[in-house]
Amino acid sequence: MSEQMLEEKKDGFLERQMTRRQFLKISGKSLAGLTISATMLNLFGCTQQEVDEGVVTTWATPTGLLVVNGARCVGCQRCEINCTLTNDGKCGAYISRIKMARNLHIHGKDGMYNQNFTYFPDTCRQCKTPACGEACPQHAIYADDRGVRVVDRDKCIGCGACHDACPWHMPTIDPETQKSSKCIQCGACVAGCPAGALQIIDWDEVTSAAQEIVEA
Amino acid sequence: MAESFGWMGKILRVNLTTGEISSSDDTEWQKDYIGGMGFGYKLFADEVPMTTAPRAPESPIFFGVGPLTGSGVPCSGRMNITFLSCWSKGHSILDAHMGGHIGPELKYAGWDGIFVTGKASSPVYLKVSDDTVTLEPADHIWGKGTFEANKIMTEECGREFQTAAIGPAGENGVNYSTLNTSFGNSAGAGIGALMGSKNLKGIAIFGTGAVHIADVAKLQELNNYMLGELIGANNNHNVPAVPQSWAEYSAVNGKNRWSGGPGRCYEKAEGGPIDTEEQPYDDINKIAYRCFKGVFDFGEVATHYAIKSGGCQSCPIRCYTEYDMDPLADYDLPTYVSNTCMPIIYGQYFYLGNENGEKVDYLKDFKYEGDGKMIVCGACSHAVDDMGLWDNYGNLNRDWRWLCESGRIHEFISDAEYDSIPWQWQRDCDPRFVVEIIRRMAYKEGKISDICMGTLEWTKKWGLDTKEFMDQLTGVWNQAVTYNGYPKHHSSEDSAQIGLLFNSMYNRDCMTHVCTNVAQSGAPYEMQKNTMEHFFGPGCWDPQKHYTPINENKVKVSVFSFEDKNLHDSLTVCDWIWPMTQSPAKKRDYIGDLDLEAKFFSAVTGVEKTQEELNRDGLRIGHVLRCLTAISFQNELGTANLRTEHDAIPAWVFDKEPDFKPFEEGTIKMDRDDMEKAKDMYYTALGWDVETGIPTKATLHEFGLDDLADKMTQAGITLK
Repeated sequence: MSEQMLEEKKDGFLERQMTRRQFLKISGKSLAGLTISATMLNLFGCTQQEVDEGVVTTWATPTGLLVVNGARCVGCQRCEINCTLTNDGKCGAYISRIKMARNLHIHGKDGMYNQNFTYFPDTCRQCKTPACGEACPQHAIYADDRGVRVVDRDKCIGCGACHDACPWHMPTIDPETQKSSKCIQCGACVAGCPAGALQIIDWDEVTSAAQEIVEA
Repeated sequence: MAESFGWMGKILRVNLTTGEISSSDDTEWQKDYIGGMGFGYKLFADEVPMTTAPRAPESPIFFGVGPLTGSGVPCSGRMNITFLSCWSKGHSILDAHMGGHIGPELKYAGWDGIFVTGKASSPVYLKVSDDTVTLEPADHIWGKGTFEANKIMTEECGREFQTAAIGPAGENGVNYSTLNTSFGNSAGAGIGALMGSKNLKGIAIFGTGAVHIADVAKLQELNNYMLGELIGANNNHNVPAVPQSWAEYSAVNGKNRWSGGPGRCYEKAEGGPIDTEEQPYDDINKIAYRCFKGVFDFGEVATHYAIKSGGCQSCPIRCYTEYDMDPLADYDLPTYVSNTCMPIIYGQYFYLGNENGEKVDYLKDFKYEGDGKMIVCGACSHAVDDMGLWDNYGNLNRDWRWLCESGRIHEFISDAEYDSIPWQWQRDCDPRFVVEIIRRMAYKEGKISDICMGTLEWTKKWGLDTKEFMDQLTGVWNQAVTYNGYPKHHSSEDSAQIGLLFNSMYNRDCMTHVCTNVAQSGAPYEMQKNTMEHFFGPGCWDPQKHYTPINENKVKVSVFSFEDKNLHDSLTVCDWIWPMTQSPAKKRDYIGDLDLEAKFFSAVTGVEKTQEELNRDGLRIGHVLRCLTAISFQNELGTANLRTEHDAIPAWVFDKEPDFKPFEEGTIKMDRDDMEKAKDMYYTALGWDVETGIPTKATLHEFGLDDLADKMTQAGITLK
């Protein structure tokens, strides 16, 4: 690799890191209150009004920016279906690493039995300091070569400490295998969403969109 | 025990009288009866005397799911419920069907069905949490509407639970009553009254398990195949209603159930309008924007109130437009409403009347031009769903409409009752009017509520000639295509003789959508014909209103429609989407894949079956239906001749449009001799006696149903 190419790669990495760091600051928070450029909105597939009204949430994850647009979620559970078919070779809701059904009917003051149509999927936030990993007595949750925190199934004893520690109880112990089912960012939920309510946008694309803002 | 794929392998049995809860193995039934409806019919054939009174404590209810339910196969979120009819002729076996999310949850809890018998001494609900099954007190939710009851059960059990509840209609034993789950998903046909008679308010289910898949890679490949080139929109309509740049065709008359498109927005979406845009047939991430059922139901005015589109577990089509109909707030009515079928499309019938001998229509606009129908329909749908009231595929609405529009209502009810009805609300198009009428019906208040006994019973009770009522009234007042108490469910108007044949098979409206999905798809006739003839041979598919005499290939279509409907409710997959007859893909010449059910079945269960073999299982279940119906008719009416007693077709079907002759272009007026010939051919194709329309001894033997032949003989039925 030439020195110039190496330099460019290094610059690209730094830019991606910078962008990711910026998004980490707001990760998991509603984007409400921020003005997002048209390019970025286009990338997120949402509008400024949706941002302002708090229906769009982003999560900075190692492999990309996870965008959840609750206004587009249609409640079909295909995210849970594709998650479990891909990762477990079987189909269920409880063990899904993304959780939609539990928000459908009662979710705080929202949900169908509270007489409104506010529902959306809960996703693993891929926390920088993961409560699930911190709590695991076996140290079975580790960052893989992508930086994604995954479960070492050989070490996992199915104690449920990860489930209990996660503020959103996203990891779940599969009662059949006695292993934790934690999100590994495989993207199956995104690929199969019939409403485009979920996206994982590659950091290069996010960085590129951010770059355009700077250049503009 | 070997790993079981698709099926969970066991049935939950609950005796409400004794409180006994047990489990039985269903492995032996899987091969021939599939699941869902098939398991229900097997259970009833083996264990339930057809002399059982529908509301007797020993009268059972079977909540059934199948090998594909909850497996991830698109549109497999259905539950089939089998029980005895309390309202249709013969009081025989029938099914109610519900979507939502509860069917798959039953699988995840480890069960292929729940068989409930007995009667609890006080109100209870059934709580199923994997293998832990309990009867919970329900006194505190008895009397509540279904939305509140479901909410309370969910709060008590946990938000992961899926629940279903009956409403006041079921508690009060109203024949037209439902079981409701999620939002607007309901099973009808009187299931509410049966559960009410057992003091069973509802069910709550949660499972931590999963459906095991024999070949998961194949299943995922098939999912992508179906979603990428076979599925269209609701009813599998395969061309968009309005032109889209990628599409060669759009609907011939500009209207079908693929109603999403550029500029058609969910204007009340959280965070501002969402444009449903173009949805290329191979873009999996845009399928949910295709249907936009509200635009199909009410026109573009629906966009003003739409939030998003909902529906059932595993279905990408989303046929339930979810609304915020804010004008309802002015009447202190719930503004968030959603439904997809009759409850939300026939509410305007309550605003039709008669003044001085003239029909009048009291609909008015609320906020936007042309929104009157949808606002009163929204109020109606929420009210019937909350009360747990069934409409018998619109018969409730039609019968009410006849009473009001004919001006004869005053003949039948007292002055005091008449004066107690808030007619001014009707004249003002006040949405509270329909809500009040629905409430009276659910609480059996006044004589007017008799119409929820069912058309057969109320016309008899009120001294009307029921046969004359069904023979002579046509169109909006009466759509009976049998004398059994239920209306047509897409019949001769779509597929001439084919539709009339399968409409008479069941003990309720047929729920068979195989033909209407093609006929109403909006695809040009030549495209439909090409596809149908590809599958069923030349001459099988007529243009609408220009039909030809019956022929062998049309009979083939009707037999397939009957078999396939039974199969869907056994697998279970949605009748409103399946089968994949047409495709939206030009590269396929718009021809779908009728073998897809078998491909999915094999991938999920690991049991290799061809589509022909699966359809043969559907036919076996049809034979059981027919035999049990014959036994009921023999017991109750003293005859098992279903050809004359069950499948007879009212006169209006043949006598309508006096200016036309049968087979002329422009009419679906049918020909009596031709229909009799059609029945001969249809019964013969099914292996049934042409004189009685019931399976022959040889047919029952061929399908392994000798036991049933014995039961029929014991009931006094002579088999050929």
